Amino acid sequence: MRVITVPGHLDHRSVDQLAAQLGTWPPEERILVDAHAAEWASPSGFTALLTLAQAIAEAGGPAPRLTLPAADTVTSYWARTGFIAHADGLYELHGKVPRRRSDEASDLLLPVTPIREARDVHEVVRAVTEGATRILREELKLEATVVGGFGQSLSETCQNVVEHAGTGGWVAVHTYNYRRRLGRRVAVISVSDAGIGFRRSLEATQAKRYGDRWSDGMAIETALIHNISRFRDPGRGQGLAGTKRYLARWQGKIAIRSGTARVAIVPPWDDEPPMTEGLAWFPGAQVTVVIPGKEAPEG
Amino acid sequence: MSAMIPLDSLLREATAATYSDLVTRPTGAAVRDRVVGALRERPRTQALLDFSRIGLVDFSCADEVVAKLIRAVHDLPVSRVVLTGVREDHAEAIDHALARYGLVVLALEAGTGRPRLLGEVPVDWGAVFAHCVAAPGPHDADGVAAALAWPATRARQALEGLCTCRCLLAGPDATYDLGALA
Repeated sequence: MRVITVPGHLDHRSVDQLAAQLGTWPPEERILVDAHAAEWASPSGFTALLTLAQAIAEAGGPAPRLTLPAADTVTSYWARTGFIAHADGLYELHGKVPRRRSDEASDLLLPVTPIREARDVHEVVRAVTEGATRILREELKLEATVVGGFGQSLSETCQNVVEHAGTGGWVAVHTYNYRRRLGRRVAVISVSDAGIGFRRSLEATQAKRYGDRWSDGMAIETALIHNISRFRDPGRGQGLAGTKRYLARWQGKIAIRSGTARVAIVPPWDDEPPMTEGLAWFPGAQVTVVIPGKEAPEG
Repeated sequence: MSAMIPLDSLLREATAATYSDLVTRPTGAAVRDRVVGALRERPRTQALLDFSRIGLVDFSCADEVVAKLIRAVHDLPVSRVVLTGVREDHAEAIDHALARYGLVVLALEAGTGRPRLLGEVPVDWGAVFAHCVAAPGPHDADGVAAALAWPATRARQALEGLCTCRCLLAGPDATYDLGALA
């Protein structure tokens, strides 16, 4: 059995630490994902963990085991995000599984939700616009136009799964205090799928143009920076382009990890490198969008 | 003569659900098919695409519903297509989608009904359009040129450009007008 230790803080960058422990793919031995020492996970962490188990299942491997966090408060939070309910179908769970409480936390704009088809995107957008507008306006002090753009970005990132992944994925939207980097509350959209990834999606139409330089990083850059899609329709590529325009206006951030690379459009408040290559391989694609609130949190 | 095309109804028909958000490409393409069908039944009318009961519009759906429709508008029997009930967040998505093709469309803002242009609007077109909205028409090139302190050729080119994309209508004696917008 191969043991993969979940970092204490699992976010879109520390997913790299999970990937680094994967070894060969598909795994030759059963995997145990050990989260007993985990203290916190962002939506990117939850969706990545589900993606990992989904990819193993789709590769024909045995269901991995997941040791839940030892701390009750952490496990309760993981349950409230909807993560444990979905993990239960993909992992063999070990540890105390708390009963999911009915009072949803206000920091959950959208619990972990599967995305398989266009109808799921409609449901996600409806859920967020009906339930999250108040939080975005009152807690993050975002104006109506920012909230509208948030929904558009959410819709477009979810559609990437339906249009390009070739399999299902997961989305979660939370708010939390981003004290260390920004000193403000942020809303974070995380979408992760276990699909073919950006490189394979674009390979047929773009690889020749890059020759030997074609790589996961180039593929992400082609889509994210140059707004190029695998479809020849000139209207394609609008989703990421529109999302970028929205994020540029509100100092938001987008980071896309696929295969062995991550490309980010980085606002002044963050220090993530624009491109990181040579990462350990992780299945599918992971998109993280961060929208900063307008004001610093109280206290 | 104007015909109101209620996008919320077409959206419900297209999705067989009670959605109010114009999101995703498949939904946008299905709604556009229904819009085209509705426009073919109303020859020689001014079609008012009504966004007033639409929630969110995403970029992909704006491309499918508006940009692709406007690209094909010359093949449709209607006199022109005007968007109505357009909120600022709708405008943002539509603007982005149209700009990709260099298209411009006339829209009426939600609430106020104020006319505005969406898409890739050349600076001169924007100035002439603002003049036409502020002062009741009809307008000719000499009058617009005088008002904006431009040469008449420059004003005429902008008026003709706005007329080509049907944001203004050509009248008799080389005049131009917004036309009736209700």
